[in-house]
Amino acid sequence: MLNLSGEKKKKVGAWLLLSMIGMLVLLPFAPAVVMAAEEAAVEEAKEPEKAKDVFYKEEGEFGIVSGPPAGELVYPDDYGSYGDFQSRTIIWISNQQHLYFGSFVLAVPMFVWVMELIGILQYEKNPKVGKKFDDLAHEMMKISLTAYSVTAILGGILIFSFLALYPGFFRYLSGIFKPVMHIYALLFILESGVLYVYYYGWDSMNDGNGDWKWSHLSLGTILNAVGIVLMVMANTWVSFMMSPAGVDAEGRFLGDIWKVMHNPLMVPVVVHRILGNAAFGGGVVAAYASFKFLSAKTLEEKAHYDWMSYIAMFMGILALIPLPFAGYWLMREIYAYRQQMGITLMGGLLAWVFIMQATMIATLFITVNYYLFQAMGRMPGSERYYKYFKVLLAILVVATIAWLTPHTLVMTPAELKAMGGAQHPVVGNYGVMSAKNTAINTMITTTVVSFIIYQRSNFKLTVPWAWKGNIFLAMLILGAEVNILFLGVYGYFIPANVRIGLSVPQVASTLSVLFIGVAVNTKMLKGAESIGEIRWGKMSVRGAYALFMLAVAFTWTMAVMGYLRSSVRLHWHVNEILRDNSPWAFTNPLGYAGNINSLNVLLFWTMLLFVFWLSALAGAGKKKVEAEEAAAAAVGKAVPAGSH
Amino acid sequence: MSKFKIKAFFAQLLALILAAPMIAWAGGGGGPFDAGTFSAIKVGLVVFAIFSAWLIKDKMGLPLPKLIQAPLLWIICYIGFRVILQPPIPFSLLAMYMGVCTVCIFLYCSLTRPSWEEFSHPIAVMLREDHATAKMSRYATFLIIPGLIAAQTYNQMLPKFGEPIELRTVHPAPPASINVHKKLVTLQTAENPFRIGDDGNYLKVGDEQKYFGGNAWTGDVPKFLQEVQQGGVVFFGTAGCFFCHGDNLDGKGPFSFAFNPIPANFADPGTISQLQETFVFWRVAKGGPDLSREAFPWASAMPPWEKHLTTNEIWKVIIFEYWHTGFFPRTWG
Repeated sequence: MLNLSGEKKKKVGAWLLLSMIGMLVLLPFAPAVVMAAEEAAVEEAKEPEKAKDVFYKEEGEFGIVSGPPAGELVYPDDYGSYGDFQSRTIIWISNQQHLYFGSFVLAVPMFVWVMELIGILQYEKNPKVGKKFDDLAHEMMKISLTAYSVTAILGGILIFSFLALYPGFFRYLSGIFKPVMHIYALLFILESGVLYVYYYGWDSMNDGNGDWKWSHLSLGTILNAVGIVLMVMANTWVSFMMSPAGVDAEGRFLGDIWKVMHNPLMVPVVVHRILGNAAFGGGVVAAYASFKFLSAKTLEEKAHYDWMSYIAMFMGILALIPLPFAGYWLMREIYAYRQQMGITLMGGLLAWVFIMQATMIATLFITVNYYLFQAMGRMPGSERYYKYFKVLLAILVVATIAWLTPHTLVMTPAELKAMGGAQHPVVGNYGVMSAKNTAINTMITTTVVSFIIYQRSNFKLTVPWAWKGNIFLAMLILGAEVNILFLGVYGYFIPANVRIGLSVPQVASTLSVLFIGVAVNTKMLKGAESIGEIRWGKMSVRGAYALFMLAVAFTWTMAVMGYLRSSVRLHWHVNEILRDNSPWAFTNPLGYAGNINSLNVLLFWTMLLFVFWLSALAGAGKKKVEAEEAAAAAVGKAVPAGSH
Repeated sequence: MSKFKIKAFFAQLLALILAAPMIAWAGGGGGPFDAGTFSAIKVGLVVFAIFSAWLIKDKMGLPLPKLIQAPLLWIICYIGFRVILQPPIPFSLLAMYMGVCTVCIFLYCSLTRPSWEEFSHPIAVMLREDHATAKMSRYATFLIIPGLIAAQTYNQMLPKFGEPIELRTVHPAPPASINVHKKLVTLQTAENPFRIGDDGNYLKVGDEQKYFGGNAWTGDVPKFLQEVQQGGVVFFGTAGCFFCHGDNLDGKGPFSFAFNPIPANFADPGTISQLQETFVFWRVAKGGPDLSREAFPWASAMPPWEKHLTTNEIWKVIIFEYWHTGFFPRTWG
């Protein structure tokens, strides 16, 4: 442990730390410098051959051919296998597991950073509350650290699987991304270095809200920045596979790695994944807290984990709310990139996987609302609002039914004839985007309403303008919902390009309820009379199970959507560039895909429960030592006389 | 709780359950009501059900125990989706809807601590207590639940003679380009050449709205409506699309029910309005024989019209279809 006593030592320590981090930050640029020198040498040596970019037009249309063509992969030479087992499934599982843990270790530091910041800011006002947040952040970092090594192991397994089972594909992809591959690897070293200093320096650098604590938080900032860069880089590979750029029609690299990375789907994929990661991180932390809540022996412990689960859920939901809009944007970009891809995803071959995803999204929103209803059970005064719960639930049910109704129905030919066509005249209207947008906006608005009720459930408003505020809130919510419904119906009567534009005012209505509604509600609660303190630890077990369900639904959604994003390439490794010539190039039947996705979810949670158990083991050891120390200290002390 | 109130309640409930299939039958095509009246009756029925529930609960002071409410709600949902909603929805959709309802009814019963206690208390009594009523209900429960499962298993195991379920890809992804009359048409970028405005320039999608509702067959009409008119000639004359797709383009032409699956209903917001014009061009030109690999089970009786129509006729009939239905093709601009 660092010995930070003495002003001089502190300074030396701080300089050493900063220089180390500075060196680590510069490290990833070394390969880029070498690459640039190499490229310059190649350019000087011969007259370059130019070729047309498959995506970039106008100025950037032509580039210097800087790599071999993708060629044609041959089975079995370019593919490996273990007996009759599908190699694709092995890659699928190892990739998904790596992604789960990768997301977890990138998301938790985001969460931890916010908690630490709140802790520092609260410290001056109320050191006890500040410490509570700080301890929460520290506890989460501990879990993340164990998960970090699991991520690295899974990354190794993934690389070995690629080398053993898809050597031809891996050769091509690593050839294209050669300029940044080592940057990626070196960034990992930087990430690890910062992570270890951040975690192990937690106690040593903790001086409440002093300079050391702020320096520690800065380390958290670097950690998150590097984490996001890492994720962006990994995302460029998958988005390149979907929508290649920076190469010619033969797949030859055209010398500009930025064009390869900045392919048409890169930005929406990155935005969607960052938000998804944050929501997933919140969900998993909430599941951890629920796990501890359910297994807690004392009310004190229960109270702590009840509070922790609430905070984590809240953070997760903050990221979840904009997520459908980011997904909508991604789909729009996919359609704009290739009409076929969009149709395959939403109306064609993979449409039913979208229904699976829709089920999961609906589960997420219903679960969040249900959790809030359960959480209100521990708030005195919330009984006043019980009568509204069933109304909110009924709205959610109606929205869910519209949200889930598929465009392509599974039916027997007899059912098709009885229905009079492929689309039902009534519920068929719910199978298109206008209805889906209306449904999801309604679900989010309902969730915000539940939260507004939650905020005020144990308070009695005292501001003189309370009744005006209530009328304003009611008008805001009602107005937003009427607007959402009206635009949803109007969407059936206008061209698709205008209809897509309608999603903006619909989202604006939802976000108005979120931001203005919550802000006004918070303002109304200023100086409000408390009906009673929140009875942390007294939440029903159903609330804890709901949070578990929430986290599992997150992971299931990730599995389903990851599968969907990947399989939309159909028989291409790299869309329209490198064809999949293995025997596993076909699209999986729904049942098989569902089973593997579920297996992935199960595997992840089994490993994660092991990680939770490990952290509990460390905690139990620490508690035992503390108890022994306390017992040792008590020896020889006077014991008050008492009856037996 | 007076006997009168209980009787009144059950009488209303029974009337509601019995009325539903009768009203469904009355509006099911051969009944005395037209579709509009029937829809109004259905809305009225739902309003009446909600009003009755409010009357029974709040005005008659007869709050039903949660354990009774739950199955009752489930039955009402089932009747709504199975009987009142017409034409009947496929079983797969019914299963999805009922799945949502089942989960949400459980959530409804456990929304708050008091409601959960109200719901779970009789179950706990049934499982734990030793008095006669508890014992009898315990035996009944342990007979009924396995009995229901056995009946369900038996039904599933029974050999069925109906056609199997098909997961048909209604809108398969089109190829990047197609060759029609020896010309390459890139589906991502191609435009309908007959989308022409009054000024002779290309008419942006959406701008044709001003021509909707007009009569394309009267004397001197704008250029766009002239193309519509010629497209109509193809639809009703040259190609005779109406035999299958119907006079109103609703997929109910005189030949339609001879096909399996029945022809596409263009009047539905889920068909041509979701697709680019080039997609429709591909389908008309190439028909069933050239469906893409993913279009399982490749069930389409659509002829490849490129063998009978010119490229221009195909584009014109597409203009006509959008004009007639009042839909706009999908664009990304």
